[in-house]
Amino acid sequence: MSSAKSAAAKAKTKRILNIVITYCILLIVAFIFFFPCLWLILASFSKSGSIYTFDGFFPTEYSVASFNQLFTDTVMYNYPKWFLNTLFIAVMSCILGTLLTILTAYVMSRFRFKSRKAMIKTTLVLGMFPSFMGTIAVYLLMTQFNLINQQWGLILIYSGTAPMGYLTQKGFFDTIPYSIDEAARIDGASNFTIFIKFILPLSKPILVFTALTSFAWPWSDFILPKMLLIDQDLYTVAVGLMSLDETQFSRFAAGSIIIAIPIIVLYFCLVKYMINGMSAGAVKE
Amino acid sequence: MADLSLKHIYKVYPNGTKAVNDFNMRISDKEFIVFVGPSGCGKSTVLRMIAGLEPITAGELKIGDVVVNDMEPKDRDIAMVFQNYALYPHMTIYENIAFGLRMKRVPKDEIDRRVKEAAEILGITDYLKRKPKEMSGGQRQRVALGRAIVREPKVMLLDEPLSNLDAKLRTQMRSEIVKLHKKLNTTFIYVTHDQVEAMTMGTRIVVMKSGFIQQIDTPKNLYKYPSNKFVAGFIGTPQMNFFEGTLKKVGDEVVIDFAGSDAKITVPYSMMMKTTPSYLNGDKPVIIGLRAEDISLDEEKVQKSAAKIKVKISHTEELGTETLVYGDIDMNGDGFAETNTRVIIKSGGFKDYTPDEVLEAALDISAVHLFDKDTEESILPRIPEYNYVDCVSRGGKLSFSGVNIAIPPAICLDEGACELLIPPTAITFGGDIPAEVEGCEDISGKVLISLEIGERRMFALSDRKLPEGKTAISIDLKQVAVNMGGEQVISPMPTVNTLNGTFSMVKSKVQRSDGKKQKVRTYYANIAGKQLVMPEEVYLKMFSALSGRKVYNTTFDYEFTPYDFTLAQDGLEGEVQAMLDYGSELFAKVKVGGSILYIKAENEVAGKVFLLPEMAKVSVIEKERGIRIV
Repeated sequence: MSSAKSAAAKAKTKRILNIVITYCILLIVAFIFFFPCLWLILASFSKSGSIYTFDGFFPTEYSVASFNQLFTDTVMYNYPKWFLNTLFIAVMSCILGTLLTILTAYVMSRFRFKSRKAMIKTTLVLGMFPSFMGTIAVYLLMTQFNLINQQWGLILIYSGTAPMGYLTQKGFFDTIPYSIDEAARIDGASNFTIFIKFILPLSKPILVFTALTSFAWPWSDFILPKMLLIDQDLYTVAVGLMSLDETQFSRFAAGSIIIAIPIIVLYFCLVKYMINGMSAGAVKE
Repeated sequence: MADLSLKHIYKVYPNGTKAVNDFNMRISDKEFIVFVGPSGCGKSTVLRMIAGLEPITAGELKIGDVVVNDMEPKDRDIAMVFQNYALYPHMTIYENIAFGLRMKRVPKDEIDRRVKEAAEILGITDYLKRKPKEMSGGQRQRVALGRAIVREPKVMLLDEPLSNLDAKLRTQMRSEIVKLHKKLNTTFIYVTHDQVEAMTMGTRIVVMKSGFIQQIDTPKNLYKYPSNKFVAGFIGTPQMNFFEGTLKKVGDEVVIDFAGSDAKITVPYSMMMKTTPSYLNGDKPVIIGLRAEDISLDEEKVQKSAAKIKVKISHTEELGTETLVYGDIDMNGDGFAETNTRVIIKSGGFKDYTPDEVLEAALDISAVHLFDKDTEESILPRIPEYNYVDCVSRGGKLSFSGVNIAIPPAICLDEGACELLIPPTAITFGGDIPAEVEGCEDISGKVLISLEIGERRMFALSDRKLPEGKTAISIDLKQVAVNMGGEQVISPMPTVNTLNGTFSMVKSKVQRSDGKKQKVRTYYANIAGKQLVMPEEVYLKMFSALSGRKVYNTTFDYEFTPYDFTLAQDGLEGEVQAMLDYGSELFAKVKVGGSILYIKAENEVAGKVFLLPEMAKVSVIEKERGIRIV
């Protein structure tokens, strides 16, 4: 009887120890990830504005002046313009990129045609190369098409490159039973009707995921806008902030915080759609 | 409401797998057809080809009078119920059922009326606002049925609709589908692997195996007259007992010797009249099939029976109304392993049998089935392949049972005893040979006439029943084979002439009525160095069977009957080898290239001739994949 009790006590101690260790590891990881953010948030409230006046890691005095400056002092650094530029590029790239990615994935998932497998393999192999490897080629192409220093040039690259990562979406479409398409075809639906009326409504999770990733990339990208945009009026936030003077660090930090807000809001609004089980009840599993 | 016709339908996948082989069938309006067979036999593929969800490699599919090979599923006026329901998960039940009608742009109030009517029939009126995930399996299947019936299709296709339901629900839905068929009065095609479903639902059943049709018949006929061992074993529970053995005709009796045991029975030859005679010599192994209910352990029956064997009982399975008794006709057998001596006997309910007890069992020989051991085809067919007739050739006449037939010049036969192999199709009514109609039997749309000619029983085929009594027949000797001294000395005249060739296209320019030149493509069959113009309906089928330019690099067999040729000034060049005079008809044996052709001739011809085949009547076979394209 007593041995059973001691075994139970041992098991309880082990369970508590496991929980403690797990939480400790999680806290350390969370701290490592969150610390830079915390530091950036605090830096954005620095009164002096320069990183050199910090007392060690953190600013000595705090104020919201940097946030005010972003929207009031627009003569040299027009943050609201950059913000609108970024929003325009990101929204257009998101719409076009999502559309192209979803259509590519649908075609690859549902249609059987010659060289389909070869195309899948090619995109898979091409995806293994880092995207900046083609930067110079892209620059030359943009020059040829006279799209340097134009926002539509950027939108074209973002939305044109997006379908290369269609495999995740294809994987999702593959899980929607093909018999639904067949039943709809018998009912008189065309391929387009099937896509609009059946595939899209059943693909909300992957649509949201695709839209978010298509939005997030142009929203936070630096390399391509830096390379293609010359006029300060066309700058995106990332390029604009980089052009700030080094004494304007708190302004830089404030600009970074504001640019992060929309994507966080978007994520929290859309996360509820990123759940599985949309096709529950369609077929016998 | 429509008839369906499937002619030489093939399905070959790009990797060369042949899923369906030469599928031929005619389905009448309002029939309930069941495709049954083991997994991978091609039954669902045929159904999907009818639905238009699977392209047809070769062949012709007609719904009503319209060829629908290349028609979209929605235009075929069919509806399909899928095995996994395939409901639209984001739509309500009402929307699911109404979707097809909305696509057809049926007025809203009409949609509402039809949806509610279908829901009423299927008992799902209360669930119309629900989503599929809120319903049970049985209810979902009803929705799937509702979606199909609301379209009022010509043909309802059901692909294993009950296989996801539990046993009780399946039985209930089975009767509901049969009820639905009667109510809707439309053609149903139902696919299942469950022979009980097939037997209880179908007006006709198609048994399939490895892409081939094994037999098409009514449930009763499939059970009573299986055409091969596969059908015999597939239909019926428990499975038919199969024994190996030999048959030996001794006088008016046949001795059935069961291999692997001492069992041996003697039965009158009159019970085995239709058995192919070559199996009655006692040297060819055969499979003897008897159903469990055709073997009895009942003492009274055993005492009365002339055909009885000893069975060593091994174990029993009590099923309530009946007991299945397992045993072995080999006294050393264990009765458990599926050997060719193991026997299963149906006995009355709850009867006790002692294991290892040896009992006598009575066999109902009138219900015996016989199969060739190698081909597994029935050697006791309902329509015998040949009438075997012992006769004598003397003085230019064939004599048997008091009948004398003049030997036509086409048949060069020595004098002496011989055996005639007369196919039932070779016997036609009206002629100068007296005969007596003994009885008629309806077999799959044909009528088998049992005739008494002299003292000999023979079978003929007719398209209608004939009254019993005296009649007169004639025998088409070009269909008859003659054996003499154990060897075939005369073969029937071939009914098909095969010519090997290729296919080609020639572009040319012709002048139109307005003076402009127009490019024209002409397609040819290249046979024996001659180009013969292909009719459009033939080359279109060839293009649909062979995609791209493959059609130009493929060798074909072009088949014609002897009646499809005319003698002309130009055409296939041939050399007449012989004239075959069958009395009423004259044929020429002509050598064309490396092939021998038999063609119908009006007069005697000799030497070099030119033959013009009627290309509209050609049959085209792709040799590589063995596909009959036309």
